Amino acid sequence: MLRNTRARWGALSQLFHWLIAALIGVQIALGLIGTELPLSMTKLATLARHKSLGITLLALMLVRLMWRALNPTPALPDTLKPHERVLARITHTGLYVLVIALPLTGWIMSSARGFPVSWFNLFQLPNLVGRSAALYHAMVRTHVLLAIALGLILVLHIAAALKHHFVLKDDTLRRMLPGAGTALTRKE
Amino acid sequence: MLTSRLARLTLSAFALTAVGAAHAAVPGHDYVSSPAHSTLTYTFTQAGAANHGVFKSFSVQFDPRAKTLEVVIDMRSFDTRDAQRNTLLGGAQFFDVARYPQARFTAAQLQKTPRGYIATGPLTLRGVTRTVSVPFTWRPLGGSGGELQGKTVIERLAFGIGQGEWHATEWLGNPVTVRFALRMVPATH
Repeated sequence: MLRNTRARWGALSQLFHWLIAALIGVQIALGLIGTELPLSMTKLATLARHKSLGITLLALMLVRLMWRALNPTPALPDTLKPHERVLARITHTGLYVLVIALPLTGWIMSSARGFPVSWFNLFQLPNLVGRSAALYHAMVRTHVLLAIALGLILVLHIAAALKHHFVLKDDTLRRMLPGAGTALTRKE
Repeated sequence: MLTSRLARLTLSAFALTAVGAAHAAVPGHDYVSSPAHSTLTYTFTQAGAANHGVFKSFSVQFDPRAKTLEVVIDMRSFDTRDAQRNTLLGGAQFFDVARYPQARFTAAQLQKTPRGYIATGPLTLRGVTRTVSVPFTWRPLGGSGGELQGKTVIERLAFGIGQGEWHATEWLGNPVTVRFALRMVPATH
């Protein structure tokens, strides 16, 4: 089923989730490698791909948010305590905000440095701001801090998903995975 | 009578010699670029995006009557507005400004076009000489000079700009667009 229901995520939401998850993994790797490399063609290529994928992520997130708005959102498990519901809400909102803010700060960073962003060498994006060394350095710091924040929230998100699946043995992870069966229908 | 004819003959011979010398400037028609009002810029593709740079110090001599054009560029005066990139570009893998501090273009031929000329001749850049054609417009401003504008595309690799790993063109394009907008003023002889 393409659309979400109150019980589980639809195919399109799942595709967004796992595609974006994979891209975030690649982005973290490219970002770390690109930063460490000395100035070279490899560095140029690594950071160019990082930027292209970042813009891809930004576009995917915007479409994903629209799809989310047009679909029912599966309810959080009933077993959650009130403070856990708040934590889940903060984590999920944080993920959305960070995965949008990271490409944006990266794009501003490149613009301020005077290196315009290209999407896979196919077309050039407009600069968001004029050249500014101060803004560039501020954006580098912000980008790194946001990336660290994303890493921490991801650990929380993955740990919670695994806890639901292996400790609480509920449907939380399974409903984001392909396959019609649910834990409730399978177990008993 | 004889002396005056001789004098005229000498004069004509002198005039013929002057016309015959292809690169002799014609007084009143010889112009040089005014540094404060002239720009020489270039655009290159870095990671799929257009990036720009300038040469801050260069001189252009142009004489439309004698059909001469000469450009001399101080390669050390380049600037791409990025310290890290400038360091790389000035080094041996790119401009190698320590060994090749000067680039030069001389028009061996100046062909008239409706709005200007096409200059064709040797361009020496990073120690490599290649023939290039540079179209430009020429707009005279009364007797006080004129405006010379144009652009041409050169291939950086033809001049060895980008050695080693920088020879690859996927992330650093081979074609470089060179643009110039020059305010030409009468040369002082």
